[in-house]
Amino acid sequence: MAANPSPNGASADSKYAIEARNLNVFYGGFHAVKDINLKIERQKITALIGPSGCGKSTVLRAFNRMNDLIPVARTEGEVLFHGKNIYDPDVDAVEVRRRVGMVFQKPNPFPKSIYENIAWGARINGFKGNMDDLVEEALRGAALWDEVKDKLKESGYSLSGGQQQRLCIARAIAVKPEIILMDEPASALDPIATLRIEELMKDLVKNYTIIIVTHNMQQAARVSDYTAFFTVTPERTGYLEEFGPTKEIFTNPKSKITEDYITGRFG
Amino acid sequence: MAVTNQGMPPGTFPEGDQYLDFVRRRRRVGTFFRTLFFLATVLGIVILATLLLDVTNDTFGYVAVQNQVDPETVIDRYYKERMLSMPRTVTSEDDVVLAEGVAVRANAIGFFGYAYYQERTDTLRALALDGVEPTAENAASGQYFLARPLYIYTSERLLRQRPEVAAFVDFFLQNAAEVAQEAGYITPGEQDLAEGRRLWQETTGLTASPAANTLPADSVIRAAGSSTVQPITARVAERFKAETGFAGEVVVEGGGTLAGFRRLCRDQDIQIANASRAMERPDVNTCRGNKVEPLAFDIGTDAISVVVSQQNDFLPAGLTREQLRKIFIEAERWSDVDPSWPNKPILRFIPGADSGTLDYFVSQVYGDSLDDLPREDLLAILETNISAGRLRALNAERPVEERSTEEIYDLVIAEVIKPRVVESWSFTESLFRRAEIEAAVAEIPNASMEFRRWLTWEFIRSPQSSVPTLAGIRTAIFGSLWVTLIAFLVAVPLGVAAATYLEEYSKGTRLDGIIETNINNLAGVPSIIYGMLGLAVFVRFFGQITSGLAFGIGDPSTANGRTILSAGLTLGLLILPLVIINAREAIRAVPRALREAAYGLGATKWQTVRSHVLPYALPGILTGVILSVSRAFGETAPLIVVGVSTFIVIDPSGPFSKFTTLPAQIYQWVSRPQEEFQRIAAAAILVLLTLLLLVNATAIYLRNRFSRRY
Ligand SMILES: Nc1ncnc2c1ncn2[C@@H]1O[C@H](COP(=O)(O)OP(=O)(O)O)[C@@H](O)[C@H]1O
Ligand SMILES: [Mg+2]
Repeated sequence: MAANPSPNGASADSKYAIEARNLNVFYGGFHAVKDINLKIERQKITALIGPSGCGKSTVLRAFNRMNDLIPVARTEGEVLFHGKNIYDPDVDAVEVRRRVGMVFQKPNPFPKSIYENIAWGARINGFKGNMDDLVEEALRGAALWDEVKDKLKESGYSLSGGQQQRLCIARAIAVKPEIILMDEPASALDPIATLRIEELMKDLVKNYTIIIVTHNMQQAARVSDYTAFFTVTPERTGYLEEFGPTKEIFTNPKSKITEDYITGRFG
Repeated sequence: MAVTNQGMPPGTFPEGDQYLDFVRRRRRVGTFFRTLFFLATVLGIVILATLLLDVTNDTFGYVAVQNQVDPETVIDRYYKERMLSMPRTVTSEDDVVLAEGVAVRANAIGFFGYAYYQERTDTLRALALDGVEPTAENAASGQYFLARPLYIYTSERLLRQRPEVAAFVDFFLQNAAEVAQEAGYITPGEQDLAEGRRLWQETTGLTASPAANTLPADSVIRAAGSSTVQPITARVAERFKAETGFAGEVVVEGGGTLAGFRRLCRDQDIQIANASRAMERPDVNTCRGNKVEPLAFDIGTDAISVVVSQQNDFLPAGLTREQLRKIFIEAERWSDVDPSWPNKPILRFIPGADSGTLDYFVSQVYGDSLDDLPREDLLAILETNISAGRLRALNAERPVEERSTEEIYDLVIAEVIKPRVVESWSFTESLFRRAEIEAAVAEIPNASMEFRRWLTWEFIRSPQSSVPTLAGIRTAIFGSLWVTLIAFLVAVPLGVAAATYLEEYSKGTRLDGIIETNINNLAGVPSIIYGMLGLAVFVRFFGQITSGLAFGIGDPSTANGRTILSAGLTLGLLILPLVIINAREAIRAVPRALREAAYGLGATKWQTVRSHVLPYALPGILTGVILSVSRAFGETAPLIVVGVSTFIVIDPSGPFSKFTTLPAQIYQWVSRPQEEFQRIAAAAILVLLTLLLLVNATAIYLRNRFSRRY
């Protein structure tokens, strides 16, 4: 894979950051998602929505090979990143994950100091620069610096849930990924903390491509540029029902199922 | 507030009172289980407490210490020999010879029974001792130190039920003053005699003796005991028969005061015990233990007069005890004792070696207890009472002359007196059955009762010994620490590595499955089997290595491979499955979110495991390690198979040494029949428990420090 042409991950050769082609994921014998084709545009926020169990998380985790960690999971199809299928045998999942970062549903800081939470990722990825500067930059980037600058030595667990989630975002951006995957990042947070995360996303999207899974329709409408609506077949296999600019999906959905879901008559 | 079924058919849920009943029933079930759990906890605590109590109970208590050699005898013999070997010393069993010998020599000094002096006050001068005049009053009151009261003992029952005994004692008291004087003793005080008569009347309930002709004609009164009192009693007996017309017989024997007490109370074959000292607590206990209530009657005082000739004009009116000591064992000339006295040789006239008078003089003047003795005398006693070879050996260690008084004292005790614990009692027995114990100790010749802590620093610091009182556990403690350390070094790194592999890297192949099943089964294998494995593999097969011969550093005596290393490796294998299973459990408990967070940043598996999984699992791993190490520390059976040394006094110096461990040591002691080994086994158990607690506490402290996580 080519190195990043610019620090923010923008690449001149394509308007898409990552692309799923005929993506199928199985958990053992269970066909979790089928035939997903999805192009994620650079420096945009793409929201994945759909009823519970339709495979949003599965698809999201397919973008940085997180499903590899599940022994029974099996992925078919392609995920193109810089024109290269990340599931090709010559691609190392470690590199993919470093460049496609992830923020999880429940804040999961390391049981270490705030400083160490950020520095660790950089260090294991061979960072040679000034660590203090990097920590500050990442924390500023996650709009957390002012709140924690005096207690960097304290435990990451000493922060509130919202702060912890921003710490996780800071941790993710400290290793300079191109894409940040967020799996319902605000679902465990109160409305105010949620709002701050949403503002942060809008800020981050200037430099990063963001894919967010959310079950909160308003959130998708508020923050995303594109929306992908997933649903399930009667066999409970998830598939992509409709994909388009958020405004269109919400105001003028092409699919009846999408419309039902969005207007609250479904799920 | 009653529960109602809102809009449901009645009876769907219990309602009203029925509901309250239902709640109460549920509560009762809860109470039942709570009580059950509480009882289980209490039971656990009770069991633990009982265990501790039991062990502690054996660790403290009275012991009967029997001296192989009676210190009094040693001291007596020593000073008597010195007195008798002084130049210009005349000895005679006949006090008259002594009295007359002193009377005609101005430079002479001597001592003998008080009575002989009384008859010769014109030619002899008695000396005050330590400022106390040798008068009858001072002797009877005990102020004059060369005097002792004399008694006869009988029992309450004999006095009441045997009229001939009552008559004899009454006759004795009436004639005691006269007879004592005849026999050369100081007569008993009026008050003491009155006291005796009152005791006689109270006990018998009579005011006067029954007439002698009413006494059974075939009766025998038997007296025995102190040879000092013997002549008095014998004379009283003669007069009793002659004057009262008693038709029976009176037999008077010697044997010593203690023998008299024993025969009166235990054997109960005499009616009168002659005694030159009052009964002490153990004697009284022997009596009461045999349901005999002893009665004492004061019948006079024995005193020794230290005399010089009336021609002696340089000695003052009295001597100090110190001067007396010097005169009879040290000084050649009077001026050696006091420079102001003439430079003339001292001539000594003393009773012979067989006389009780000399014994009594020695015990009073030179002391009868080792701790009263001056350093030179202790040293001399040591040197004269041990073999030349033993003395050479001691001198080779460090010349005895250079040792401190305390050390010499300890040597005398250890080498000459040789006290041995011949019987011991538990703490509860010591608390509640003191009298019985005292009686039992009184039965043992030369024995004294001591309260003993079996658990002492001395015990912890001393090496093994075949004498329980000298045995210690130092070697065993070192052995245990060494063996456990090696087991730890083997099992923990291997175990954690294996656990990490199985949890993080294993792909679930068939081989992994086999390994896993094996480990789980190994944890249940009886430890003796590990011992056999250790014996076959480490002791036999790798004997060259485990005994150090392969490295050329082995000790030829341990060339058989029965070394700390073999034992440590065996225990290491034994606890390996435990470490693995516990570590796996701990690793499995690491939240998935933590791993995902690490992987999500582009961490490799090893980075994730190293930086997050293992640190997070560490407290849990350590818990397993603590359990395992405790197990290794307390394990006995496999070590016995591997070949723990049964008797070893040298501290282990490294992995290739012979060894014993605390539990093995305890096992050996417990299997000995002697009570004293049970005591030291109990003490060792306390040490084992304490060490375990200490090891665990340290480990838990470390674990808490590690787990003080962010
Ligand atoms: N580790 C797993 N093992 C087996 N089945 C899984 C696993 N994770 C998710 N699934 C199944 O895959 C389907 C999609 O799950 P997920 O992607 O989590 O849905 P969503 O995030 O849209 O709620 C669900 O039916 C779920 O039960
Ligand atoms: Mg999900």
